[in-house]
Amino acid sequence: MQAIVAEDLRKSYTTYLRRGLRREKKVVEALRGVSFEVRYGEVFGLLGPNGAGKTTTVKILATLLLPDSGKATVAGFDVVEQPTEVRSRIGVTLTVEKGFFWKLTGRENLKYFGLLRGLSGSSLDSKVSELLKLTGLEKLGASDKLYEEYSLGMKAKLSLARALLADPPVLMLDEPTLGLDPPSAREVRELLVKLAREEGKAVLVTTHNMWEAEAICDRVAIINQGIIAAVGSVGELKKLAPRRSALKVLLEAPRLDELREAVDWIGEEDGWTAVKVYCEPGEEGEALAGIASLVAKLGGRVHKVEVAEPTLEDVFIELTRERA
Amino acid sequence: MTAVDVVKASLYLTYSWYKNNRVMLAMSLLWPYLMAFLVLALGSMYGSLSEFTRRMGVSNPVLYMLASSTVAFSSIAILEAAVGFVMYNRWLGTLQYIVLSPVKSKTLIAVAGIPDSMISAVVSVTAVAPAAAYFEGLHGALKAIAVLLLILAGMTPMLAFSVIAAAATLSVREETNVLAFLNPLILLLSGVFYPIEVLPRLLQLASKAVPSKYVIDAAKLVATYTTPEGKLLMLALYPLAALAVAYNLIALAGVDKAVSLAKRRGFE
Repeated sequence: MQAIVAEDLRKSYTTYLRRGLRREKKVVEALRGVSFEVRYGEVFGLLGPNGAGKTTTVKILATLLLPDSGKATVAGFDVVEQPTEVRSRIGVTLTVEKGFFWKLTGRENLKYFGLLRGLSGSSLDSKVSELLKLTGLEKLGASDKLYEEYSLGMKAKLSLARALLADPPVLMLDEPTLGLDPPSAREVRELLVKLAREEGKAVLVTTHNMWEAEAICDRVAIINQGIIAAVGSVGELKKLAPRRSALKVLLEAPRLDELREAVDWIGEEDGWTAVKVYCEPGEEGEALAGIASLVAKLGGRVHKVEVAEPTLEDVFIELTRERA
Repeated sequence: MTAVDVVKASLYLTYSWYKNNRVMLAMSLLWPYLMAFLVLALGSMYGSLSEFTRRMGVSNPVLYMLASSTVAFSSIAILEAAVGFVMYNRWLGTLQYIVLSPVKSKTLIAVAGIPDSMISAVVSVTAVAPAAAYFEGLHGALKAIAVLLLILAGMTPMLAFSVIAAAATLSVREETNVLAFLNPLILLLSGVFYPIEVLPRLLQLASKAVPSKYVIDAAKLVATYTTPEGKLLMLALYPLAALAVAYNLIALAGVDKAVSLAKRRGFE
């Protein structure tokens, strides 16, 4: 049995734009036929740019939002017809920076949500202590601190602890490492992989961090403008990368705006500006000469050049650009 | 997972909240005194205390004001507990996680505010009990307990009324307006600090649909007269029972609709 099955999910929202005294009705299609499956024991990444439909998908699967059409099951239960059964089998985090009571400690917050999951007495106390240890909050001395004193990293860990309270077989985590410092993000990622591999949980993670998805996800779906553009293992998706050479150039340039228009991707690596340029095989020299002369014209210099292996990011850029 | 688990969780939340916010607890205990003295001070600008005592037919105006403030505070607390449950949890971002508990959403909305309302009532009656005991000895303390029992009895229709308001809060985007409109309206129509008869005819009619009006009538009888007449007390309690039935029926249908509307828009 699959942990999560989504079949042709569609959802639109009606929004109202104010134009002076008038209100203009606008229908936004958030999902336009989303289908994918998540298996037990895997970390499944739902990747997409902002507004692609990731959170809407998670909310439908978590029974917090009704789809307009389509069907979805979680742990074998229909999300529309059997929401209570679904809820007792899932752990969810939607935003890591809020969602708890500020004037309660981390432990008290977990106990409250544990009681709402039907846990009580000593089993609740021991579960809460176990999760505070597992997520590292105990080590940080944060268990009995008020939530209002928590750092973002602590809040993310507490969110994850809440999702694990009822030991659910399915986890749905919306951008669980968003805004975390590298050590905290790493701890959360390691924990997710452990939960999938060692405990056989199905972990659905949404992110737009390609590197993270490549590092922890067994399979990935790329969603863009409410449609799944591709699904498969990271290796399978890399094969969808453009059959072109990708030149990665590390450089120093004072003005990035002109450069941004001339390249396919721009970012940062080891303190240098990193750019990627795709070109046909055999035309690498010409492409490099073009970049080098532009950088020289801008008063910068090229530090390092390499022919890059296709990454998930290349696939993502290609697929999301096609539809944009 | 049943409604009892939701009540237990809410009790724990309220307990923890008060434990970590002792100043707030102290303020809750002080509130009836502040309110009573504010009204008495304002009133003394326009007439003498003895005249007020004569016109209202009460034995002790201070105790009368304290009892009225307690009932007013409790009525608003019930509304705050039910409507505020939706509103504050939406603001905190906790609503969607509460809704994710494996219990029907309508059960959650209906029962989650009960513990907070009961605790608020107990706190406010506890606040005025020492004053009641000071003025009237053991008899006064017993009156305070009687007022508490009346408030608790009045909760059935008031809670259903509040659940309807909570359902409305769930359905609308600008949720603060629900409380901002209802709180002063309830105070106005309940006749907390003045007889209902001073209101315009239309508002007098509207006040008949407000449960706290009857709780206040009954509480005033118990708190301000030496021996309240049974018949008069029943006059206040019968409409309460009728309103309990009516509001509970409306709430049953209303919450279902509000929850399904909220699910179409998505819980936030």
